[in-house]
Amino acid sequence: MAVSEALVDQPLDVEAAAAHGRFLRAVLRNRKAVAGALILFVMAFTAAFPGLIAPHSPTAALYGQNSPPSSAHLLGTTQLGQDVFSQLVWSTRLTLVVTLIVSAIATLISTVVGVTAAYLGGTTDRVLTVITDIFLILPVLPLLILLATYLPPGPTSLVIVLCITSWAFQARQLRSQGMTVRNREFLVAARARGERSIYIILVEIVPTMTSLLVASFLSLAVYVVGFAATLQFLGLGNSGELMWGTMLYNAQQASALEAGNAWWALSPGAAVALLGTGFALLNYAFDEIGNPALRPVRRRRRRDRASA
Amino acid sequence: MTEPLLDVRNLSVDYLTEAGDVHVLSDVSFTVAQREFVGIVGESGCGKSTLLFAVAQLLTPPGELVGGEVVFHGRDMVGLTGAELRHLRWRDYSMVMQSAMNALNPMKSIAAQFKDTLEAHGTSSHDEIRQRSTEVLELVGIDPVHLGSYPHQLSGGMRQRAMIAMALLLTPQLVIMDEPTSALDVVAQQSLMTKIRELQQRLGFAVLFVTHDMSVVSRYSDRVMVMYAGQIAESAPTETIFERPLHPYTRGLMNAFPSISGPRREMAGIPGAPPDLARPPSGCRFHPRCPAVMDICPEQEPDLYVRDGAEVRCLLYADSAQPAVERETPAQEARP
Amino acid sequence: MSPETPAASAATAGDEPLVRTVELTKHFGLGGLFSRQVLHAVDDFDLTIAEREIVALVGESGSGKSTVARLLARLYTPTKGEIFYRGRSLRSLRSRKDMLWYRGEVPIVLQDPFSAFHPVFRISHGIMRNLALHRPDLSREERRAEAERVCEAVGLSPRMLSRFSYEMSGGERQRIGFAQALAVKPKLILADEPVSMLDVSIRAGVLNMMAGLRDREGVSLLYITHDLASARYVADRIVVMYAGHQVESGPTETVLSDPKHPYTQLLLSAVADPREKSSELSADTGEPPRVVNPSEGCRFRSRCPFAIEKCGQVTPRLEPIGEALVACHVAAAQGKAAGSSDTAPVTHT
Repeated sequence: MAVSEALVDQPLDVEAAAAHGRFLRAVLRNRKAVAGALILFVMAFTAAFPGLIAPHSPTAALYGQNSPPSSAHLLGTTQLGQDVFSQLVWSTRLTLVVTLIVSAIATLISTVVGVTAAYLGGTTDRVLTVITDIFLILPVLPLLILLATYLPPGPTSLVIVLCITSWAFQARQLRSQGMTVRNREFLVAARARGERSIYIILVEIVPTMTSLLVASFLSLAVYVVGFAATLQFLGLGNSGELMWGTMLYNAQQASALEAGNAWWALSPGAAVALLGTGFALLNYAFDEIGNPALRPVRRRRRRDRASA
Repeated sequence: MTEPLLDVRNLSVDYLTEAGDVHVLSDVSFTVAQREFVGIVGESGCGKSTLLFAVAQLLTPPGELVGGEVVFHGRDMVGLTGAELRHLRWRDYSMVMQSAMNALNPMKSIAAQFKDTLEAHGTSSHDEIRQRSTEVLELVGIDPVHLGSYPHQLSGGMRQRAMIAMALLLTPQLVIMDEPTSALDVVAQQSLMTKIRELQQRLGFAVLFVTHDMSVVSRYSDRVMVMYAGQIAESAPTETIFERPLHPYTRGLMNAFPSISGPRREMAGIPGAPPDLARPPSGCRFHPRCPAVMDICPEQEPDLYVRDGAEVRCLLYADSAQPAVERETPAQEARP
Repeated sequence: MSPETPAASAATAGDEPLVRTVELTKHFGLGGLFSRQVLHAVDDFDLTIAEREIVALVGESGSGKSTVARLLARLYTPTKGEIFYRGRSLRSLRSRKDMLWYRGEVPIVLQDPFSAFHPVFRISHGIMRNLALHRPDLSREERRAEAERVCEAVGLSPRMLSRFSYEMSGGERQRIGFAQALAVKPKLILADEPVSMLDVSIRAGVLNMMAGLRDREGVSLLYITHDLASARYVADRIVVMYAGHQVESGPTETVLSDPKHPYTQLLLSAVADPREKSSELSADTGEPPRVVNPSEGCRFRSRCPFAIEKCGQVTPRLEPIGEALVACHVAAAQGKAAGSSDTAPVTHT
């Protein structure tokens, strides 16, 4: 097998090779993947079993107000006397769930729109591109304010708003990728066999874009984590819900920083950053696994060879 | 005995992959004399392109030169620094790549690219640049009016000629060509080859020409080297190798060309596929596919043996009366 | 559209060829909305293919040969002209059922074995899909058996079916391409430069296999290529194209031993046989043109050493000269002058 030509000329095949068997080994070898996966694993575990980690109830307002960190309260307490650490732990679940749901839905929409536009071309493409562009340039904040007056505050509205505002960017990317794939010979072959367009889009095209889809999903996740928290911080969420963004809002409302309670004000932000980093690391890692050209080149020590 | 222009000795190149080292080139040695046209023929995976890159010191990771020397004009290029190489490049040797569209800058006119090259090597006078650019275009048969054209405005054949013109800007002594005609149609291919040969004889530069298609070099080269699995399988003057191919692989290649005239024969081709160079076959690398394989072939690695003016890496010719080619001395000595 | 199966209503009269194209034409619009530039990929192309026959369609880039293949594969629709398959015009095949029927009779094998297969699925994917689409009457076991049969018919072990495309060499993949085509039980396989991207030593095997398909499976092949030598090796008839026009066609040996069109002669002289001594080389430095908004006249005239005034004014039509059809005014004149059945080739001065 001509190795050098194989590596250079067949990126899709390398992707397929990664997807089959060598995947796990590639993941384990990549430091970014390991770090990112570790972070997400911790987050997932925390979301699944908050009771195992958090010592107290997140909402019980039983403890001293605005107290600094201690052995009983690792991050201190809120103005109402709630344990900040427990709140943080318990908020992981909803934050993570909202993030994943939005990322999944937005990725789905952008895939369908992008790939269909790329494959069908012509009028369909133009119409879908116009729609995508409209959603791209929608001014987010005015839209949110508008929606906030009509939608009940809470995670569901958050999901709706985030989905609406985040699918369009990835749709353009996926359309571009779809355009490069569309004239690949195996798609021409599929058309020549008599396959229907829907079949081609779903079964022939989408599976070749798995690394791009994963990348889309992960980069959306990074965006959503931060933006959801921002929206909630601005008061567009339901302050009663257990999410990091609402913690930030509540801390702000209680002027926690001025009161000297930095732990309450800042720890949710740190959590957001950590989760975002986890997704981002995994994103880079997948890029490197999928495209060997991006991998860090580890120079080996040139072993001394005696010339003949 | 004049010193050869290019003397490659025991060149070995590995590709470092996660799955292990791939021995893309193993102990390759050959020379190119001044004004000589050497054709390197091989199929995919034989290492011919890697050889060119290694000779031109253009290898990038994961490819790594793990042994040998590339002696050009008496100087080993392997140890040279970037600055020293840059001085040599284009002035003493230049390269013509496989696809002009990949090598020419699509955003710049031909004149601008020639100017860049000339200025990079010291020519700064506007008139000199203009004159030289016109000269090389005329040399390759392009109307100098195309100096202002962009690559996409030229036809495929013209682009390749422009590439060759660019390679000749500083009158190098050696021009390395990596399948410059493979993207062209048959007729354009032939006219380009004729032009290359004409220029070579007129201007006196040597050519190292890599191709997968033997017929392309059959009319033009002085010598042909056949490569297989990272090694030289056979090397001989062109006429010799076509009249009397010695290596079973060379013979197989010859038989794989359907003839356009003469009687129609059944072609056999060569069954199997080139080996995985991460784990090359034991002994002779061609033995799994060889129609003339002997018992000893998987056991012993053949050296390059001399036979009737040709060098062949095949145990069929491992005659003790004709010793294997030694490469200790700089100049290749004539052997009986 | 009759309610009978399309196969039943197709004429199977003795002298109707398998495929017959009449003035087949394909133009592509270039540039944006307001551009008037029209690329003439194929113009007035008449072709017949009989049963159990290999026809080689030979030409360089821009000749239109790949476009003809894609027109026959219904990947493009003709701008003008018609294609008759077993007597039925392709225009009349409108329903999905008709379309599937045709595709099951005339599959296409593509040029690039390195991208003609889905990178994620196993290599059996294309074969199984073809069976599912075109032979739905088969049970699962029968499909499996059929997949193995076509694999062996192209000289590969059925174990290959469970491999992925990146695990196979170019030659093996190209054979699978033919296996896919065989799975539908075709009458005609369109092979678009099937060996161009393969190593020379592998080509022989694939070409031998193609000839075997004609002999053993009774399939016709349209072999698209730029290589006259391989065309000679497998084809019964050769059709030469230049810049969208058919310039010469006829039985293989006739066309190659006695080419009448100057372009055919040029092509022949450019094909180097490594075993032959160098023969006369032409001084031609031209390349095939890109035919955009062309005028009347022969498209080869600017490179033709024998061009006369008429060549620039009247587009030559295919005329029989001897056993061949030739579209050249000069050759036609010489043919007439020398007598009706005498072959009088245009010779180098």
